[in-house]
Order: sequence, then C-alpha cells, then structure tokens
Amino acid sequence: MSTLLPAAGWTGALLGMSASLVLAVLGLRAQRTPSAVRRSQLKMTVLCIVVGAVLSMGALEAALLTDDFSMSYVAENHSRATPLLFTITGAWSALEGSIVLWTLVLAGFTLLVLRQVPDTEDRLGTGALAVMGVVGVFFFGLVTTAANPFTILADPPADGPGANPLLQDHVMVAFHPPMLYIGYVGFTVPFAYAISALLLRQGGVEWLRRTRRANLIAWTFLTAGLVVGAWWSYDVLGWGGYWAWDPVENAALMPWLTATAFIHSAVVQVKRGMLQAWNFVLVLATFALTILGTFLTRSSVVLSVHSFTRSAVGPALLVFFVLVVGGGFTLFALRGERMASRSRPESLSSREGAFLVNNLLLSLFAFVVLLGTVYPILVEALGGSQVSVGRPFFDRMAVPLSFALLLAMGAGPFMPYRHASAALLWTRLRWPLLVASAAAAALVVLGMRSVGAVAVIFLATTSAGASVRQLAASVPSRRAGALWRLVRQQRGYWGGQLAHLGVALAAVAIAVSGGLATRASSTLPLGEATTFAGYTVTFDRTEQHREPDRTVTDAHLVFRTGSAIRHVATPRLTAFDNQPQSVGAPSVWSAPGSDIYVALAQLQPDTITVNLYRYPLMSWLWVGGGVMVAGGFWALSGRSPRRRTGSGPVPSGEAPPEPTGQPTPEPAAARDEPVDA
Amino acid sequence: MRRRLGNIAVAAAILALLTVALLGLDRGRPSGDRAYALERQLRCPVCTSVSIAESTSGTATAMRAGVEEQIAAGRSDQQIVDYFRARYGDWVLLDPPARGTTLLLWALPVGALVLGVAVLALRRTARPDHGAQVDETDRAQIAAALARLRADDVADQP
Repeated sequence: MSTLLPAAGWTGALLGMSASLVLAVLGLRAQRTPSAVRRSQLKMTVLCIVVGAVLSMGALEAALLTDDFSMSYVAENHSRATPLLFTITGAWSALEGSIVLWTLVLAGFTLLVLRQVPDTEDRLGTGALAVMGVVGVFFFGLVTTAANPFTILADPPADGPGANPLLQDHVMVAFHPPMLYIGYVGFTVPFAYAISALLLRQGGVEWLRRTRRANLIAWTFLTAGLVVGAWWSYDVLGWGGYWAWDPVENAALMPWLTATAFIHSAVVQVKRGMLQAWNFVLVLATFALTILGTFLTRSSVVLSVHSFTRSAVGPALLVFFVLVVGGGFTLFALRGERMASRSRPESLSSREGAFLVNNLLLSLFAFVVLLGTVYPILVEALGGSQVSVGRPFFDRMAVPLSFALLLAMGAGPFMPYRHASAALLWTRLRWPLLVASAAAAALVVLGMRSVGAVAVIFLATTSAGASVRQLAASVPSRRAGALWRLVRQQRGYWGGQLAHLGVALAAVAIAVSGGLATRASSTLPLGEATTFAGYTVTFDRTEQHREPDRTVTDAHLVFRTGSAIRHVATPRLTAFDNQPQSVGAPSVWSAPGSDIYVALAQLQPDTITVNLYRYPLMSWLWVGGGVMVAGGFWALSGRSPRRRTGSGPVPSGEAPPEPTGQPTPEPAAARDEPVDA
Repeated sequence: MRRRLGNIAVAAAILALLTVALLGLDRGRPSGDRAYALERQLRCPVCTSVSIAESTSGTATAMRAGVEEQIAAGRSDQQIVDYFRARYGDWVLLDPPARGTTLLLWALPVGALVLGVAVLALRRTARPDHGAQVDETDRAQIAAALARLRADDVADQP
C-alpha cells in the first residue's frame, strides 16, 4: 500500500481548483480588456483543469481497481470481492466519488466552451469561461475539502464493506449516473453564457445561439438519464412502478422541465425576438435547480428510496445554491430590464402563442414539483408538524398539466408564426383528428374503459398524425431523396418532431399502463398454483447460487396456459456477505403488448408471497424515451450549428424553393390554405 | 363547394366517432379497487416515501389487512382514512388535505396558474401597434431590402 494514488488524486483536484480560479480571473479580465489576455493563456488554464480532473478520476479508478484501501473512499465503498464492473462504477456510487465525476464532466464542458472561443476579442465567450471557472472552483473545492475521497488512512483495513447493495446489482449503474451528470453539469454552459451576457449588458440572440449545442446535449442526456433511471427503478426496486414522485426523482425532473421550456422559448427569441428576459430566468432557474436537486439528494434533509449518502457537503451546496440564486437574479434584476424585448405576440393562436402556453405549463409543472418536494421540509423547518406530500398530490397536479401540454404539442408545431387562422388549423389538423377519433372510438368499442387512457391515445394520435401530415405536406416531391433532404435540412424542427413523437409514445404508455393495470397478491406453498391474467402460475421451486460476494436465491414461478409453459419468472433475493440488507429483485416479462411483473414480498423455503402486476404497453415507455433521445441527437447532429440555431421550420410560405429543375408539385403553402379562407 | 362539403363530412365523422367513444366510456365505468385506492393514499410508516400499497414490510402488510377489514365492516373511505390519521397523524396522508399547514400547498399552484394566465393575457393586449407608424417611404425601403435578402438566400442555395 502506498500513498501515491490518494496523493495524486488530491493533487489533481487541487490543480483543477487553482486552474479554475485562474480561469475565472483571466476570463473576467479578458472580458473587460480583451487585449490583456492571450487565448493561449486561457487554453493552458483549461487544459490544466482537464488534466486535474482526469488525474483525480484516474487515481480514484486506479485505487478501486488495485484494492488500495489506504484511500478512504476505497475503504468505505469497495470490497475485494466486488466484481470488475461494479468496481469501476464504484467510483460514482457514493457521494465523494460522484463529485469527482461531476468535476470531470464540468472540465469536459469547459473545454467545449473554449473551443467556441476563437480569440479573446470574443468577450461573450471569455466571460462564459470565467463563469465556468467560478463553478469549477466550487466543485473542485468540494473534492479537496468536504467531499474529499482521497484521505489517506494511516491504518488501512484489509477489506471493505463494498458499495450500497442496490448499486451493485444492476448494469444500469454504469449508465444512469454518468448520463444524469452529463445532463446536470451541461446546464452550466447556458448559465455561463447567460451570466456573461448580463455582465456585458449584451442582449440579442448571440448567447442563445452559442449555448444551443451544450443545452441540447445536456437535455438529451438528462432525458436519457431520466428514462433509464425509471427503467432501472422498475426493474430493480420491486415496488411495482417506475416513478414514485420521490425527492430524488423530482430533483432530476425539475431542471428537465425548465430546460425543456428553455429549448422552446429560445426558438421564440431567435425567430420572433420575444421572451429575452424570460430566457435569462429559465436558464438561471435550470442551473439553480440542478444545484438545489443535488443539495436535496446529497444531504440528509430528505429521506428517499434512492438517497445513498448523508454528508457535510449539504451545507456547502446550500450556500452555493443561495449564491447562485441571489447573485444570478440580482444581476438579472440590475441588467435584465433594459434587455427585455419589446415585441409581443399578436395572437395566442400562433406558433409563438403556443410556445408561450407551453412555457407557462412547463414552468408551472416545475413549480408544482418543487413545491411538493420542499414543502414538507419547509413546514418542518418552520416548526410545524410533519406532513407528507406524495403521489396523490403530484398525480392530481401533473395529470391536468400533462393533458394541457399534450394539447399544446398537438397543435403548436403546426401553427404558423404571427397568426394561425381557424381555417388553416382545421386544414392541418382535420385528418389527424379524424384518425385519432376513429382510434378512440375503436378502442372503446373493443372494451377499453379507462377515460384517461382513451383521452391520451386520442391526443397522442392527433399529435403524431399531424406531424406525419406536416412532413408529407412539406416534402417538395414524392421521392424518398426529397424527404431525406427535408429532414436533414431542418434538423431542429424535425428533431423536435421526433422528440414529440417520443413524448406521445411515452404518454400513451404512462396512461395505458397506469389506467389498465391489473394486480394481485398471492401466497403460494411450494407446488401450488394460482391464476393471473389468464395464466396458471405455479410456485415450482427455489434455487440458490453462490457468487464470490453474494448468495442469490431464485424462486421459479411457471406461467402456463393449458399445459403449455409460456414463461418462467425468477424473482430473486440477493444476500451480500458483508451487508446486513438483502436485495430483492423482481422478474419482468416484457412483451410489446404488456409486461408481467413479479415481485417478491416474502420468500421462505416452502412458501412464497408475490405481488403480480400486468402492465399493458409498459415497454412503449422505454421506446418513447429512446425516440425522444433520438430526436435530441438528430437536432444536434447538424454540421453547422450557427446557421441552424434554434431552428423551427421556415414558415412554409417563405420556404426556400427547391433548386433543381425537376417539375415540383404545387408548393406546400398552396395546398395548405383553404381556397375559401 | 365540394371542398366545403368534404370539410363538413370530416367534421361530422369526427364528432360521431367522439360521441361513440364518450357514450361507451360513460356506460362501462369499472367500480375500481377501493382497498387499493385507499392503500395508495396511506404512507408506510417504516419505509421511505412509499405508500402501504407498494411496500412489502410487515407494518404495511398489517395496515393493508386493517384497510380490508374496515371495508368489509362497511365503513366509508373517510372513516377509514380518519382512523389511520388518528393513529399516525397527518403525516400518514400522502394526499395532504387542503387545510391547516398544507393549505398553502394547494393554494400556491392555483395562484401561480392565475398569475401566469394573467401575464399571458396582459402581454398580448399591451402590444403597441408599430405597423401604423411606418410610412410609405419606409415600407418601400423595407420591401426592397427584403427582396435583396431573398435573392441572396436563393443564390446561397447549393
């Protein structure tokens, strides 16, 4: 055991912190007097930050992989018997390590900002680098002090307890936290540009254009992180659901909501010059919510099914949150007013009107989630009694808001800017509406009785249908090449439509799996059977498997129709050698039509108590999430982001004509407008 | 004329289909699982932020049995909820009541909605009419500039 690795890791964090401090000073100086700083100095500083973060993370991983128990983090969160995958993921399965990951991602985004700064004359860019530096000082500072994983133990233990059992039982631990962190940390970039623009008193769309890329990267990864997290929770926790409105989940949902609002309101500013001040508010709020979310989940103020740590990092995060909110909004109050855009929407029945409604709904949604999450804490802190705010409250608020959002999503993208006449909307929506009402009627006739599910299917079909119609109407010719060229030229708009399709799929999955679920609880002696969802379910046997650091007990439940075996569900119980807590894992049988979910309630050698659930269309939620992420990547994939920034479609009347000489059918606009309008 | 007839036909079809759906939904409302609905409103006292419907702990199992017994005894939902509230306090209600310490929780979202709608409505009516202040020479200049821009745009195309 040497002290090399802990020393290297800590030195890396210290290097990162000092370089961040230098970057903050240099960046601010460059913003004030561009000639005083050379770009090479900024570049060297950013490289030092990256090297520091890589050194920290590398030392942490190396110590985990070499069982170096002289490092405090390894001694607390690792054991010799931990399998390789969970040894690697161990670097972020506890608080200190996850802050190290945070600094690494932050260093990456700082590098991304630097690449957009061609020289120090770019005062918006150098100011943004300075803000990245300030945020870096805080997080690297946490690693060197309150969240220091690199403390050297004078008397290292021979072996450690390993990570939290829940975090070494599923491969998702390798994907979910890094995705979430890329999302969370990515919102630092829009924040940095917003503060820089405020410092410069520079309004306009330049800061929006330059943050589009980072913002979309962050949004896409946060979306992926949320969906993967929901799936993980569904697949592992065994309470039969995927979303519990738990504080940790809410913490990730709130910035997602405000960031989604920002993606839309940024389009309004770029296209119509409105909402400039509002965009600053959304960006400040998104960043502040990521810090607040981290505070809520990383301190002991809330108890949650996923909060894995208690620590002194909490107060530091709270102070930082207060500074961000106080500083950011003070600056905004001093500078924002003169930057507020003067133009106003002419009519709410227009694209920008729909964007405004969308922003109102998403902000309200974020506010409700925030309120429900912090309310119990505030009431208790103010000396009141203990209160609970749970699923019924959130559902009651979220359901009408989600319906309204689906409605806006169904009509908004198909309205032109300025003013959408009823006749035009009717032309664009009549066929989708016809298809959707046919679908709703058919489902009811076939026996579907959940009002929520039918309503969501109606709205989702309208939205998806309108999107397809818009695509067909915008394509200048019937050839596949023309279609491809269209979706490639307007990546922002069609990426957005793809994401909307994902939202529609997810909404259908949420409504149908929730509204038409069946459940049963059953206690079965060995060899006995019960019936569920048309199957005969027999408790066949239990099996024990021994793995290096754990004992896994599988229960075998055989699903039959008649005498044919359809499926063998194996919910299992894992007992870790050095953890008192056993982890139960449900068995999920996924099919495109429905999932059969079997969760263990109790397992004794000769009797089993299981909760059985059938969720129709559950797997559509994961598909919908994947489609949303694909939409985000499609919008990102353009080669020249500056030209396509914040793009909605060119309103069809102004669409650039097809350059080729081939005969084109009548343009989209002519077909869209009713003759007698 | 044919176009108008077509529109009317589509509108009528949509209305007819929606009527079919609504009538069907109205006829066959399922009665619902009362015990499950109640269980989802009660917080499991020994778990972290899940209801007794979702928990597999012994306490939650006992509480579920309690709910089912009381339903069998013919007590109303309100009586059953009150029974658990008397034993565990307001804390046990995952659905906080709109009174006392949790009144604000319900009032604030409503207030925020009203505020938001008001801002949206006011922003729209406060719009100054810039269009009226543009005189003919300005209009001609703008039109010329737009024409130039459009020409450039076309020339830019590959």
